[in-house]
Amino acid sequence: MNILICISCVPDTTSTISFVNDDKKFNSDGVQYIIGPYEDYALARAVELKEKDNSINISVLNVGLERNDPLLRKALAIGADDAYRIDVFPNDSLFVAHQISSFINENPFDIILMGKESIDFNSSQVHHITGSLLGIPSLSPVTQLDLNSNKNKILIKKEIDNGIETLEVVLPAVLGCQEPIAEWKIPNMRGIMNARTKPLKVIDQFECFSKINYKKYSLPEKKDNLLIIDENNINELVVALKLKNL
Amino acid sequence: MSVLVFLEFNNNELKETSKQALTYANDINENVYAISELKISNDVVESLGKFGVSIFLINTVDFNENNILKCIIPTIEEFKINCIIFPKTNSFSYLSSILSTKLNFPLINNVNSVARFENKICLKSTIFSGKAEADIEIDSNSCILVLNKNIINSTSYKKSVIIKNLINKNDNSLSNNVVSLKKEKLEGDILLNDADIVVSAGRGLKGPENWKMIEKLAKILNAGTACSKPVSDAGWRPHHEHVGQTGLKISPNIYIAVGISGAIQHLAGVNSSKIIVVINNDPEAPFFKHADYGIIGDAFDVIPKFIDALK
Repeated sequence: MNILICISCVPDTTSTISFVNDDKKFNSDGVQYIIGPYEDYALARAVELKEKDNSINISVLNVGLERNDPLLRKALAIGADDAYRIDVFPNDSLFVAHQISSFINENPFDIILMGKESIDFNSSQVHHITGSLLGIPSLSPVTQLDLNSNKNKILIKKEIDNGIETLEVVLPAVLGCQEPIAEWKIPNMRGIMNARTKPLKVIDQFECFSKINYKKYSLPEKKDNLLIIDENNINELVVALKLKNL
Repeated sequence: MSVLVFLEFNNNELKETSKQALTYANDINENVYAISELKISNDVVESLGKFGVSIFLINTVDFNENNILKCIIPTIEEFKINCIIFPKTNSFSYLSSILSTKLNFPLINNVNSVARFENKICLKSTIFSGKAEADIEIDSNSCILVLNKNIINSTSYKKSVIIKNLINKNDNSLSNNVVSLKKEKLEGDILLNDADIVVSAGRGLKGPENWKMIEKLAKILNAGTACSKPVSDAGWRPHHEHVGQTGLKISPNIYIAVGISGAIQHLAGVNSSKIIVVINNDPEAPFFKHADYGIIGDAFDVIPKFIDALK
């Protein structure tokens, strides 16, 4: 059985976001990049499944530039067997999904795991678009994943608008994952040593024309109208909220 | 531009985010098509004119892949619809993606402004979980837009609704590889995404046993309850209540944060709320810098007083 984890490489969640070049480019100075938190959960679940069944092969894939290679190495240290990077800037969801589905068409996988969204552009669509392009089911956000004994179906739990749905899905399938699907894993020394010799292949981009152009960026206006209310005069808050007709 | 809006109902009542989507659509073209997944009664359909629906497409099918291919796409093509608008909800994520690939319409999520239609389509979308915004140009004359909540105020209209049927192409069905076994309803009556008011609490509450006062406050305000990540990680509250960068992102009219310091990851999930009220005993808590109203005090003193004041 082959599992693919598609990872995004994104600024750490504590990063201060700013832009340069007339607000046309993200300012990556001093920004620490991480594996997207949701994909970290997905990878951890795949490693848990492999711990129970060593015949499982785990691959990781990133659509992105060379600076992401250390994070692919980290994924190998956590427990993936091989890594791939499609060498192109991930412009938008459709573009990325096209790259991923073209890769999967050439390298079939049974389970394709992603995060429910990347925390930079938050589109939360790459999994569904990839599934649609491949003509296989896509489900998100998935909070639990188990294999059946024949390894041809999975049992998952997925969040729906007012609850949780349990589903059985015939493989192959694409899943957008989120907590608590697994606990994050930290690479151990043996993993880090092993990762050095595991394969990391860089692949040329698949041809795809993107129609979406990001022209300029801006930061939201900061609030500076804080009104401190004394706790013994809390009626003031109640009146203020009512005045706003809220 | 011919515009179609996908609507959501809650107990036969059109959701506020759907009303906003209709207003958004009317600003593009007054001739607005609308459709919903749930079957709704005739009088509800007739009432949709006041929210801006011109033509309602009567739907009798679920939005699964088969029906999207057989009914929804042929209908969109028949009526020459080239702009599809969704209010942002979990359940529309799949549908909007499939429509985007099958119709080859560019898809923009987290739309945060009105759109200008010139040679290109120009609009803004939030990125980095609301920490920033991007100006986007779409090189196309068709699009699918998924709207953030509260980017436009819903308006009322005086339209009489024309009813049309979906086109149904009887192609061979695809094999069904996804079987739903069970659906469980979550605790709590108010869906966080729909809630106008959200009361949220963090580690400052010291333990899960102290959530009773939060629930009581929420009940009086008819609000949803949420929590910070450390709280759901510790198992004090269920995961689906976690709001923040790696949890739910919400934009209610009022967000009341109790005993939450306001780490940047938490702010990312709530910073698009209209009014933020922060209750914290630490006057240096970063959350105060992002709040409209602040109360410096111990939650265990302030919340009971707040409840009394509301009564």
